[in-house]
Amino acid sequence: MAERKSLIKIKPKKFKSGDVVKVNFMVMHPMETGMRKDKKSGKIVPADYITEVKFFFNDTPFTTMQVWESVSTNPVFTINFKVPAAGTLKVVYKTNTGEVQEKSKKLKPKG
Amino acid sequence: MQRRSFLQRIGLAAAATAATATLTPQSLLAAEAPKGPNTMNIDAALKAITGGKAVTPSKKVHLKAPEIAENGAVVPVTVEVDSPMTPDDYVKAIHIFATKNSNVRCADIMLTPANGAAMFATRIKLGSSQDVLVVAETSTGEFLSAKQSVKVTIGGCG
Repeated sequence: MAERKSLIKIKPKKFKSGDVVKVNFMVMHPMETGMRKDKKSGKIVPADYITEVKFFFNDTPFTTMQVWESVSTNPVFTINFKVPAAGTLKVVYKTNTGEVQEKSKKLKPKG
Repeated sequence: MQRRSFLQRIGLAAAATAATATLTPQSLLAAEAPKGPNTMNIDAALKAITGGKAVTPSKKVHLKAPEIAENGAVVPVTVEVDSPMTPDDYVKAIHIFATKNSNVRCADIMLTPANGAAMFATRIKLGSSQDVLVVAETSTGEFLSAKQSVKVTIGGCG
């Protein structure tokens, strides 16, 4: 399956190890509820939404999310994370259609 | 009785052909348990999460949501919970409900002390004007909640 656009943003950009930063994870995803009708054909659009999002730091999971269809289109998930040291932040998500995708970003704390 | 068994056989045959057909997302959907519009009401959803324990409204839970949302398809929701987030005392999970959606559950976030602070933000869909309810589960087994009503001008579902 084609890779969907996703993005991990860390706020603030400059941080030290031990700081609590905001992690923004954005995905381009339609989040179809399975209840909406297509205006042209009149058929029901099949459900297609993210069901699980997992955040990993150096392959250790630290936050798991169960997501349902009532999250908006192109969702943004924001959580906090206390950066212990330099490492890789990875986000893996699953959809109800069996799609699994991931995105990672390297964290480089200064000082 | 004959008619019934005949119909059953036809149904089985149809299911078998569907299963052997190429694995399109549609067939994968059919193979799974009935997902799609999930119709859990708020009481059932709360019971599924708390296991029948009492949920107490608390000032420790801060819920930020707009009082009036023009577009129900994109309603920003921010939840913050006062907690030291130490291994002994932290927020285990945050659950977000939209009390009048056909599926009231929006998101369940399982946190760990590695998060540093209990915060979650996302954007949700609201079908009509309703209450947004947030339940936070602490590691000590308490369920704390906060609620806010949101007025929706244009519905976000369907």
